[in-house]
Amino acid sequence: MKAKKRVMTTSAGVPTPKRTPTVRKIKPAWVGPSSVSSATTSGKRPTTTRPGEVGADPARGMDPIAALGIGDVAGSASPDGLRASRAGIDAGMVDLSVDLGRGLVLENPVMVASGTFGYGVEYGEVVDVERLGAICCKGTTLRPRQGNRPPRVTETPAGMLNSIGLQNPGVDAVIERYAGLWAGWRVPVIVNVAGESIDDYVAVVRRLESVPGVAGVELNISCPNVGKGGLQFAIDRDAAAAVTRAVRAATDLPLIVKLSPNVADVRPIAQAVADAGADALSAINTLSGMALRADRTGPFLGNTYGGLSGPAIKPVALRIVYEVAQVVDIPIVAIGGITCLDDVLDYLAAGAVAVQVGTAIFADPTLPIRLVDDLRAECASRGLAAYGALVGTALPQRPGPPVSKGAEYRP
Amino acid sequence: MRLIDAELVESRRILPGQWIQWYHAPALAASVRAGQFVHVRTGDWSGLVLRRPFTVNTADAATGIVSIHFREVGRGTAWLTHLRAGDRLDMLGPLGQGFQVDPRSRHLLLVAGGLGIADVRLLVDEAIRDGRQVVLLFGARDASEVYPSSFLPDELEYVVATDDGSVGHHGLVTDLVLDYEAWSDQAFACGPLPMLGTLAALAAGRTKRLGVATLGRKRGAGRPIPIGSAQARRKAYLQVAMEQNMGCAVGACLGCVVWGVEGPQRVCREGPVFAANEIDWEAAVGAGAHKR
Repeated sequence: MKAKKRVMTTSAGVPTPKRTPTVRKIKPAWVGPSSVSSATTSGKRPTTTRPGEVGADPARGMDPIAALGIGDVAGSASPDGLRASRAGIDAGMVDLSVDLGRGLVLENPVMVASGTFGYGVEYGEVVDVERLGAICCKGTTLRPRQGNRPPRVTETPAGMLNSIGLQNPGVDAVIERYAGLWAGWRVPVIVNVAGESIDDYVAVVRRLESVPGVAGVELNISCPNVGKGGLQFAIDRDAAAAVTRAVRAATDLPLIVKLSPNVADVRPIAQAVADAGADALSAINTLSGMALRADRTGPFLGNTYGGLSGPAIKPVALRIVYEVAQVVDIPIVAIGGITCLDDVLDYLAAGAVAVQVGTAIFADPTLPIRLVDDLRAECASRGLAAYGALVGTALPQRPGPPVSKGAEYRP
Repeated sequence: MRLIDAELVESRRILPGQWIQWYHAPALAASVRAGQFVHVRTGDWSGLVLRRPFTVNTADAATGIVSIHFREVGRGTAWLTHLRAGDRLDMLGPLGQGFQVDPRSRHLLLVAGGLGIADVRLLVDEAIRDGRQVVLLFGARDASEVYPSSFLPDELEYVVATDDGSVGHHGLVTDLVLDYEAWSDQAFACGPLPMLGTLAALAAGRTKRLGVATLGRKRGAGRPIPIGSAQARRKAYLQVAMEQNMGCAVGACLGCVVWGVEGPQRVCREGPVFAANEIDWEAAVGAGAHKR
C-alpha cells in the first residue's frame, strides 16, 4: 500500500534538495482524438477542436498551473488520451485522481483538513473514510501537548473560532496507536506536523519517515493558537523557507506546507517555500480572531485568541489561493469554508488542484464523501473524463482561447 | 453512533424560554442511555456552522420517542423553537458516556440546577424502572423556573430549592444535600459549575463525615482501577455531567475539553459524565464554562 503511494525521485538514495516540478511531463486533461499527433509533431501549440471545453486547452502546458499534478494524472490515467464524448461519459468513468508530488497520488481531490477529523477513526461509524481523497490528521508534535485551557471553541457568524493549542499525544504515540491502522487503509493519511523549532519539525518528520501508513506530511507552520512555534514560521519568508528546507533534507516523504493568511502578502512566502523544496502547498490555516464572553467581562476563549474557520473565511482563502497559484508551479490544496460543490469548483478555478474540507464536517460529517460524488457528476455532466479542465480557469494570463478551428492542420 | 433522521412529534414551551421537544427516532430511543447526548444540526440558512449538543431528556423504546429539553439562548435554539410537528431534524447520536449506576446502589440522589435537570431526567426513569429509590433535588432561581412535577414520575421524591424562597427551600440546592448523603448510595448531578464544585467538595468529605467503615475484603482489592474507567465511575459516589462548547462531538476536534486531574478530558468522548474526582475543580470552576 505504502510503497505504491511513495515514489522515490532520487537516485542512489540521496534526497534531492530541490525538485523541479516543471520537468514533469504534462499531458492535457482533455485531448481531442485527432489533434494530439499533429500538434506534437508540428511543434505548434495544439488546440482543442471541441468548442465549449473551457480550460481544456492542451496548451495549459505553457501556464504555471499546468505544471500541477493534475494534468499529469489526467493523462496518465488514460494514456491514449481521454476520449471524452459528452454522451459517453458517465460518472463512474470520471477519473478524479490527482498527484500532489513525490508519488502522493490521491484517488480524488477531496481531503479532510487537519484538526477536524482527528486521526480518521473518530468518525468511522458514520463516514466511509476510505472514500476520502486523503486524511490530514490532527497536528502532531514531538512531545505530548495538553493544549489550551477551555473553552476552546465558539461559533461566530458563518464560522467558528478554535484555540485547541495543538493538543496531541506526541508523534511516538500517534505512530504507535494509529499508523498500523492507517497502513491498512486505502486512503492516504498525511500527518500534520507542528513544532516550536526547526529541530522539532525535523525530529518529528524523521520519526514519520518510512513508517508504514504515513503517506506524507503537512507542515503546520501557521498555527495561530500556540505561544511558541507555529505562526512565527509562516509569517516570515526566511523562517518558512528554512524550516521547509530542513524538513526537505530530512525526509523523502511527500511534503505539503500549510500557509497562513495572517500575513500582509503571502506570495513571497509561498515562493520561498516552493523553492525550498515543498512538493505542494495548502492554504489556508485559520485567521486569528477573538470573541468575548456574553457578559463582556473578558475574552471568551481560554487562550484569548482563536483561529477563525468556516464559510466566513472563504473569500480570504480564495484570494490567497488565487495569488499563490500565480507565483508557484507546485500543486495547491485549498482550505477554507468549503460547504458545497460550488466552493470546490471555485477553488479549482482559482488554481487549486485539491481541497480540504474542515469546519463543515462538524455539521455534516458525510459532506466530503458527497463532494466527491458531486464533483464526479459535475465532470460527467460537462463531458470531462478528468477534472483537470476545471483547474485554473479563473486565473489571469492564461493562453488565449483556442485560435481557430483547424489551426493544427496548417503546414 | 449514527446519523438519525428524527421527526418532530410535539414541541412545547414548558417554562419561560424553556422547551421540550419530542421526536420520533426509534433507533435512538432504543439505544440511548441516561447521560448520553445527541448532536443536532440546525438550519443552514443563517450560517450556523456547528451542531448543538442536547442530552436526551426522555426515551421510550416502545414508541420510539425521544425528547430534548433546552433553553432558548441563541440563534440555534431559537431556530429549533420554530420547528413544527412533522419537521425533520438531523441528529448524530447517541454520543458520550452515560451515568454509571452501581448494580448494588438502591438509593440514588440526583441533584439538578436549572436546566441541568435535562441531563439527569432520563436517569430518573431508568432508576425507577430498575426498582431503585430516587430523590431529585432541584434548584432554580425562582418559582417560575421550577421544573413542573407533572413531567416527573410519581415514584420520585422531588425536593425544590429556590434562590429567592418563592417555592421550597430558601437557598441553594446544595444546602439540601447533607440531609440525603447518608441515605444515598450514589449521587448524580448536573448544573452550573459552582454547584458542581460545591457538590464535589461535599462528596470528597463524605466518607469522613459519615465515618463509613469498609468491612471485609473489598471487591477487586489490590487491583488498581484506572481513573476514568466505567468501573471507577461506578464505584464513585458522585458523578457529574459536564457541559462545554462543542465542535465535532465525536472526539476529533478536541474542542470540548474540561480540565481533569489527568489533563484535558473531552466532554464528548470521555464525558459528558465524569466521576467527580476526575475533574480538576479549581481549574474548571475558575475558568468557567460560558454558555452560548
